Amino acid sequence: MNRDRTKMLLGYLLTFLIIITLNFFIPRLMPGDPFTSLSSEEGDITVIYSEEQIERYKRYYGMDRPIAEQYIGYLKNLLKGNLGYSIYYNQEVVSILKNRVPWTVAIVICSLIISSFLGTILGSISAWFRNSKLDKILYISMVFISEVPAFLMGILLLFFMAGRWGLFPLSGGMSMFTQYSTKCEVILDILHHAILPVMTLSIAKLGEFYLISRSSMLSVMSKDYMKTARGKGLKSRRILFRHGLKNSILPVITRIFLSLGSIFGQAVLIENIFNYPGIGTLMRQGVMVRDYVLIQGIFLFVAITVLTMNFIADLIYKKLDSRVR
Amino acid sequence: MSNLGKFAIVIIIVIIVLGILSPLISRHPHNLPSGSALESPSWEHWLGTDDLGIDIWAQICHGARASTFVGAGTALLAGVGGSIVGMLSGYLGGDSDRIIMRISDMAMALPDMPTTIILGAFFGPSLKNIIIAISLYSWVAPARLVRSKVLAIKEENYMKAAKSYGANFWHMTKVHFLPQVLPLIAVSMIRLFSKAVVVEAGLSFLGLGDPTSKSWGVILHHAINFKGIYFTEYWKWWLVSPVFIMMSFTTSLAIISRELERLWNGKIEWI
Repeated sequence: MNRDRTKMLLGYLLTFLIIITLNFFIPRLMPGDPFTSLSSEEGDITVIYSEEQIERYKRYYGMDRPIAEQYIGYLKNLLKGNLGYSIYYNQEVVSILKNRVPWTVAIVICSLIISSFLGTILGSISAWFRNSKLDKILYISMVFISEVPAFLMGILLLFFMAGRWGLFPLSGGMSMFTQYSTKCEVILDILHHAILPVMTLSIAKLGEFYLISRSSMLSVMSKDYMKTARGKGLKSRRILFRHGLKNSILPVITRIFLSLGSIFGQAVLIENIFNYPGIGTLMRQGVMVRDYVLIQGIFLFVAITVLTMNFIADLIYKKLDSRVR
Repeated sequence: MSNLGKFAIVIIIVIIVLGILSPLISRHPHNLPSGSALESPSWEHWLGTDDLGIDIWAQICHGARASTFVGAGTALLAGVGGSIVGMLSGYLGGDSDRIIMRISDMAMALPDMPTTIILGAFFGPSLKNIIIAISLYSWVAPARLVRSKVLAIKEENYMKAAKSYGANFWHMTKVHFLPQVLPLIAVSMIRLFSKAVVVEAGLSFLGLGDPTSKSWGVILHHAINFKGIYFTEYWKWWLVSPVFIMMSFTTSLAIISRELERLWNGKIEWI
């Protein structure tokens, strides 16, 4: 058991190291560099910088040193928690991330909670009333929802609910240039802006959780202890929640952690649709202006978050399910 | 196959034909203005025109080309490549299997959209490079499916018999593995197809795709970034048509893959 865990941990550490290494090399192989991004033609140097200035900046950022030396320097800085200095924003990457990450994490967590909660309930109901009309309608609509690309859903929600009907703000995470009288108003304003992105992400994930919880509940319902519970004359609500849900919830919980990778990916797109000030919009900006250091920082953050969550999912699964040992 | 499945197949065929025959089907060019700006749908311009006066029907038809190209390319590259890797991994077993599975763990941990954005920026966002970028992490699903099936087949008694006759890898693949694995490969290729179309559209929608490709995502990008889209009537044809065609395309592909799964009934466990 313990040996298994160290082996798993070593595997994850190896993955970390490889991702960090890739993260270091990929931007250095990218075509173009920040000095030429402003000009229209490939390889053309903008008039803003002279040759000497470029040389000076390259020295300043350590671009003129051999690649192995740069790599070791990069690793050392990472260990100190230093992700470098963004060329475009003229700010430490860590402090930019600090401002942006809470927005993304907030909408991701909210939508995971909403979609897993709703999905589990609907899935359990569907399994409970198996083959009824309700089950069939739920099943078909959930399959449909899970196949519609999330960003199309986002565009439709943005267009109708925000654009045509004006129920929600069109973009941003807070209203600009407004005076708030109380703290409560600030919170309401932030919530008001977050509703559409959270709704899109929740809808995108709902079908997945519904299907998992439905099939898990179906398999639990065929077990003997469910028959016993029914034979004891327990109320059906008690059977559903006490005996059924408790045993069928495990796949849903592990899926919550495992789906963090895909939900971060979808959040990148959806933030851009709603112009939400999270790391998704930051990433697009970074690629547009070819800000290597910033892109590296974002990618590293996302990759490490996802890997950590996968690791936790593994641990939880092993802890909760005594069969996996 | 149910009527729904047949209907889905018809839609996919129609869209692919639209893409292949786009210059014949649309009377107007997809890249040059052919009327005044922002015309509403008429006999001359079936789906109206955009802000530059370019026919939207022609753009949709031409967009089918770019989108299906990316989809088919990814399905072939990642589907066939992943299946070969999975088959080798399952057949060889041992250390090579362990290494391949470790690599696939890593590829699976990469969040898809951010990775595509970064790789697309790194290779340069042409359609071919987008195919390569998507394939780099999406070969995992077919590889794992095929591997687990091959592992199961290897345990069968007839395989042991075949081995005792001295059957080599190619013979076993041809006679035993491929016929049983092909349905799995087909279904995962359809999934890859639709995933790639969606990812490419998302990338183009962000303005990070190939700006010259004029895929559906690019049309959508222009439509939603048009200043007056929210308070004018233009959205009815300019915004709705790319959204509609993409939705019908992806849902049709999903229906087909589910139908095939049901038909073959080969208890496909998705990883």
